Amino acid sequence: MNRRAFTALVRKDLLLELRGSEVVLGMLTFVVAAFVLFRFGLGGGRPAGGTRAATGMLWVAIVFTAMLGLSRTFAHEREHGIWDGLLAAPVDRALLWLARACSTCLFLMAVQVVALPAFWLFFLQSGPAPDYVVLVAAVALADIGIAALGTLVAGLASAGRAREVLLPVLFLPFAIPLVLGAVSATTGTIPPQTSGLHTVERLGYLALYDTVFVLFGWGLFEFVVED
Amino acid sequence: MPSPDAVACNGLVRRFGERAALDGVDLHLAGGEFVLVTGPNGAGKTTLLRVLATVIRPTAGGVAVAGHELPRAATKARPLIGYVGHASLTYPGLTARENLELYAALYGVPGERIDSALERVGLDDRGRDSVAEFSRGMAQRLAVARAVLHEPSLLLLDEPTAGLDSDGREVLREVLAEPGRTVIVSTHEPPWFEGLATAEVRLAAGRVAA
Amino acid sequence: MNITAAARLDRASVAALVAAVLMPVALGLIFFYVPTANGDYGQRIFYFHVPIATTTYALFGWGALNAARYLWTGDLTLDLRSYVPMHLGVIFGTLTLITGSIWARWEWGTWWYWGSTELNTFLIIFLFYCAYFMLRFSVEPGERRARYSAVYALLGVGLIPISVLAVHLGQDAIHPITFTDRGANMEGSMLFTFLVALAAMLSLAVAMYLVEIRGKRLDDQVARLRRLVQETR
Repeated sequence: MNRRAFTALVRKDLLLELRGSEVVLGMLTFVVAAFVLFRFGLGGGRPAGGTRAATGMLWVAIVFTAMLGLSRTFAHEREHGIWDGLLAAPVDRALLWLARACSTCLFLMAVQVVALPAFWLFFLQSGPAPDYVVLVAAVALADIGIAALGTLVAGLASAGRAREVLLPVLFLPFAIPLVLGAVSATTGTIPPQTSGLHTVERLGYLALYDTVFVLFGWGLFEFVVED
Repeated sequence: MPSPDAVACNGLVRRFGERAALDGVDLHLAGGEFVLVTGPNGAGKTTLLRVLATVIRPTAGGVAVAGHELPRAATKARPLIGYVGHASLTYPGLTARENLELYAALYGVPGERIDSALERVGLDDRGRDSVAEFSRGMAQRLAVARAVLHEPSLLLLDEPTAGLDSDGREVLREVLAEPGRTVIVSTHEPPWFEGLATAEVRLAAGRVAA
Repeated sequence: MNITAAARLDRASVAALVAAVLMPVALGLIFFYVPTANGDYGQRIFYFHVPIATTTYALFGWGALNAARYLWTGDLTLDLRSYVPMHLGVIFGTLTLITGSIWARWEWGTWWYWGSTELNTFLIIFLFYCAYFMLRFSVEPGERRARYSAVYALLGVGLIPISVLAVHLGQDAIHPITFTDRGANMEGSMLFTFLVALAAMLSLAVAMYLVEIRGKRLDDQVARLRRLVQETR
């Protein structure tokens, strides 16, 4: 793998984001607004389903937030016609995918650094503290899955008419198993433990999800960008 | 064994949906030639350059750059090709230097070459400025610096003189006059390239016009 | 040309004929022959639901296989052979959801049972294939559409096992998993009825597939001839 090219591509995304800071800030505002909306929608109380219902809301909000960010995937390249420059360069197409997926993953994590504590304040602060190590692992694994698949799907959506509508439509069927896995893993970190599943099994499922779609992204991105 | 043609197209076809932008192009160029591609809008000039730049794949027919068949051996052909497209292929949000740093990494070119590349196109004092602040002429000069950063043996330029100021034209002429390269330029103003060009190919409706 | 066209016509008619014979036989077996299990007549929906669901999966599998072959070869007829089973798969998938819903009504007394892993997995996959059509309809016809459809179809192959696991995982949070092994201990007469029903559904799908492929090919030929006429004029 061409590590220098990979680093340069990720650095480019981060620099553009630092200068323009349109994606991360937009996502952050959106996710916090979604929490507020949930809070008022529930009449100001804790969700009746307890911890599980709360984490369910959390992950639904995160998936929609991620979609907002993913709609800006390759936006610079598209708007300024830079794709031809990247495609003409002697780098593996899979590397272009990997670099972009990594940037997306970093953006998501940056949003969550603020969003997760905010969620805690909004919905769970009266409850017991979670197992932080497992929680961080679960969130990171879910983010990798979202970024890996999302980057590929964003590429597919970019060619269609009504790109903004197509991206969520293409992504959501894959978000269902992801949300199920992430909710199960996150709930498992917050006592009391109600289920017989081990932490390893819950995290293992997310790791499996990541492995499958990382392989798909790595192998199939070429067919999405080359015309 | 004779060295392969710098560029060889045999019955090259490229379709976009139903429309054939290139409809059987035959073109053979020896190394070191300087070819102007002319023709009306929509004749297929840009498509031809994009296929040769390995940006889009041919639909049918054979095309090879320095003996590397496209798209199969595109990975081997890419380091040999420099491409100046319609757009400048640079990020407006980055500085000139950062753009070249990115492409130097992609092409595996040592970072020290960036200074001389900027100097070559007269942008050495603008390296730390964001490309968004550049005039069309400066952006075009940066695009040329980007395209020759890795010293390609085949240089493809799509309408390089469009919107270029007199300084830019001077720089472009200097770069194009450098020996040892095969150059293909699509253009609407062939007279400007007098003294550089060795041949002219006229495209009409996706074919080479006789 | 004529010979292959005739051969294709034959295959389609043979499949249609087989389906036409098997379908009434299966219906007869389901309604009059097979013994009623657990004293519940409505349980017979099983002989519709499971064969239809199996056919749906088979169609999706065939579509995904041809999608992979398309990406490998770039042969546009394989795009058609990938699209048509997907298209039929959505029709059979709708029937699966309807029969599944009826089954849930008999089995659990509700029109949709969120505790059934099979129903929920199928729902995810059904949504996925609806999205496939959204993608297909929003990209201009041509190689790009063929490639994008193929890539998305292949993603579905990853989604199926992932969804099965995920639904099990999700269930666990509601209540412990209880396996109801209804397929394993079927009586001989039940198994026979089931197999005949399955064969009937599969042959129906094959017949529909072959007929639709032929229709689409004719459409393409007509379009090509029309273009030719316009160009020579």
